[in-house]
Amino acid sequence: MSPRVAIVDFVQTEHGGHLHENVQELTFGVVRKLMDRVGIDRSEIGTMISSSADYWQGISCSNSYYYDSAGGNLKSGSKVGEDSVFTVIYGMMRILSGHYRTALLVAVTKCSECPSEHTLSNLCADPFFHRPVGINGVAVAGLQARQYLERHSPPTHAAAQVVVKNRSNAAKNPYAHVRSTVTVDEVLSSPTVAAPLRKLDVPVTSDGACALLLAEEGTARDLCDDPVFIEGVGWNVDRSLVGDRDLRRGSLHKASAMAYGKAGIRDPGKEIDVAEISETSSYHEILWSEGLGLCGPGEGWRLATEGLSSLEGTLPINPSGGLFGANPQVARGLVRVGEAYLQVLGEAGDHQVPNVRKALAHSVHGLGGQSHSVVILGH
Amino acid sequence: MAQAVAIVGTGQTECGKRSDVSYPELVHEAVTRAFEDAGIGPEDIDAVVAGSMPPAMEGVNNPHLYLAGAMGAYGKPLMRTATCGSTGISLAHTGFYHVASGMFDTVLVVGAEKMNEGDPQGTMATVADPFFQRPFLAGAPGIFSLQSNEWAHRYGIEEKRVRMAAAEISVRNHNDALRNPYAHIRIRTTIEDVLTARIIAYPVRLLDVCPASDGACAVIMASQEKAGKLGRNQAWIKGVGYCGEQAFFGEGDKVVWKSAINAAKSAYDQAGISNPLKQLDVAEVYNPFTFQEMLFYECFGFCDFGKGCELVEQGVVMPGGELPCDPSGGVLCTNPIGATGLQRVAEVVLQVTGRAGDRQVPGAKTGLAHAMGGLDQFNGIMIISNEL
Repeated sequence: MSPRVAIVDFVQTEHGGHLHENVQELTFGVVRKLMDRVGIDRSEIGTMISSSADYWQGISCSNSYYYDSAGGNLKSGSKVGEDSVFTVIYGMMRILSGHYRTALLVAVTKCSECPSEHTLSNLCADPFFHRPVGINGVAVAGLQARQYLERHSPPTHAAAQVVVKNRSNAAKNPYAHVRSTVTVDEVLSSPTVAAPLRKLDVPVTSDGACALLLAEEGTARDLCDDPVFIEGVGWNVDRSLVGDRDLRRGSLHKASAMAYGKAGIRDPGKEIDVAEISETSSYHEILWSEGLGLCGPGEGWRLATEGLSSLEGTLPINPSGGLFGANPQVARGLVRVGEAYLQVLGEAGDHQVPNVRKALAHSVHGLGGQSHSVVILGH
Repeated sequence: MAQAVAIVGTGQTECGKRSDVSYPELVHEAVTRAFEDAGIGPEDIDAVVAGSMPPAMEGVNNPHLYLAGAMGAYGKPLMRTATCGSTGISLAHTGFYHVASGMFDTVLVVGAEKMNEGDPQGTMATVADPFFQRPFLAGAPGIFSLQSNEWAHRYGIEEKRVRMAAAEISVRNHNDALRNPYAHIRIRTTIEDVLTARIIAYPVRLLDVCPASDGACAVIMASQEKAGKLGRNQAWIKGVGYCGEQAFFGEGDKVVWKSAINAAKSAYDQAGISNPLKQLDVAEVYNPFTFQEMLFYECFGFCDFGKGCELVEQGVVMPGGELPCDPSGGVLCTNPIGATGLQRVAEVVLQVTGRAGDRQVPGAKTGLAHAMGGLDQFNGIMIISNEL
């Protein structure tokens, strides 16, 4: 019987378009609040794993700048990039090794202080063949959406329905950055950014930070009444050149198969009660739902149009509002895990889904979802 | 408890200005050599760990994703770790925990940097806080010069003596690098050359400073069971230690340097080392600046504080001494930053498995690999032995 790793608590900022605190203040704020809530001081922190990205912080060696403000001073630590779900995976590894009883996980991004996502994601492209044609995150998302449309012919309002649902959920989430609702017509009549994607099909970027405390089971039970366990993790990387990939399928099914294998999940569509997915565009929520096996191939769009993925549906997706609610580029993955944790705990507030036993958190980075990560949480 | 972790293969590229290869080709060169060394192929790898310095160094965002094919990582779990100058040792630690946690049997760890395609000092100048520290701390030499001056003043070490010891370290590293086929700077120097080289940032002169290199390094780690099946050239990770400290230079003591002391202590405790000078046979100390190497001797317990110069003067850390340091020529002669810490690991593996060629320390059984990073802020250690 291998030891189990649990989440003790989670804290996030009220995400925004331009937060006034700097990166040091944001990390300090969430870590201080987390330790106060749990009722521990720094002596009880075993190791600190953070996630941020140099391009998304405008600073080289981004963790140098906040290592102490994030609670890591004179502690062992590391930084994983560029998806903060990896803090959960690496923190868990460190605890499973027996070297540490607790791991403090911290993620931060201030998109307001960076060049636009279009510029920074263009720098992800191969510099010789792809970058000169101007390919970037939203352009690849457009290609993926186009392929999906051609292959599965969903109704035109299907993807817009995802935006409407997530924006409506975000309005119930006090930590969300964007808290205004939209209609299908507003989405469909917004200007085209990368056909068929319209402006409102793509989340805006945000500033935000979050902190989460992991502990081995015994310590977790000492520190909180209701630890939520990590039941499975999985991650996988696809080919670098966008044209070399199956843009609809990608490597997500491999990441999720790894996580489900560890968690003993055979029928995710039935066994997962709620999913927090990093929907980098409206179509991505549809694609990623299929990649996660929450529905069959080509059926993802129905989750939104038939109301299955709504807050009241049979498989709510992004009750927090997902990235349409807040999109702090690197920190968003750990926010997904935190939101999934709150759902299992039953403390998600106005966007709580009833009777959650198993929750899924997903994150993505790289053009068109080159890298995916999946975490399964449960009691 | 932590599963035992073996290192079953290493691969290094020749370093220098590698305009003959692209960044992915450079990485592929190291990875291929690691596979050849381990006698396995990409199909045997369960997970990949990769890292580099700030991606601005090469101008590619998410460099691990760009390099995924060159590492044979497609369709596998791939994780990026990056901790500035200490990236290489942090990568080794991440690989270690992949296996020690019991989650994976065989893990490929890759560090790389192609510094000549970017602006290394420009990239490193933005490590410092932009408001208060950057205006006077830009670049690496300034920080390390302040640190070496602080050290010499603290213990009242005569300037001439410090300079001479640093010059001897420089000459030793340059001589050693001539015996390392992967080294970048391969020149013969004299004490006189070092003492009269042009000043970069007082007291650091040109031959006291590392170069900016292109290079990559790959290491394959395996569980005890998997290593047993491979049955060749095994080295074992006996201890890992890492410690980070304040972001603001000046808030911490950089002489009795806590992050270096703590990192070594954690690794020593795990490895059962109480007398490093006696129990270690070789040390690959991260030495981008000659002066700093002596400070590390003290923080790692090779000698008492303030006595670093003596180890050089008495030949303890020189070839044939009790604890030869940096027989590879060290960081001083080769510094592709994201790979540098992992090169220290690979070199110690070669030493303790008796495969270090012309730079072999006779009979080496246990060694220390080290890297430092951040704004004089992070230190990481790995103790490697040829016995489980």
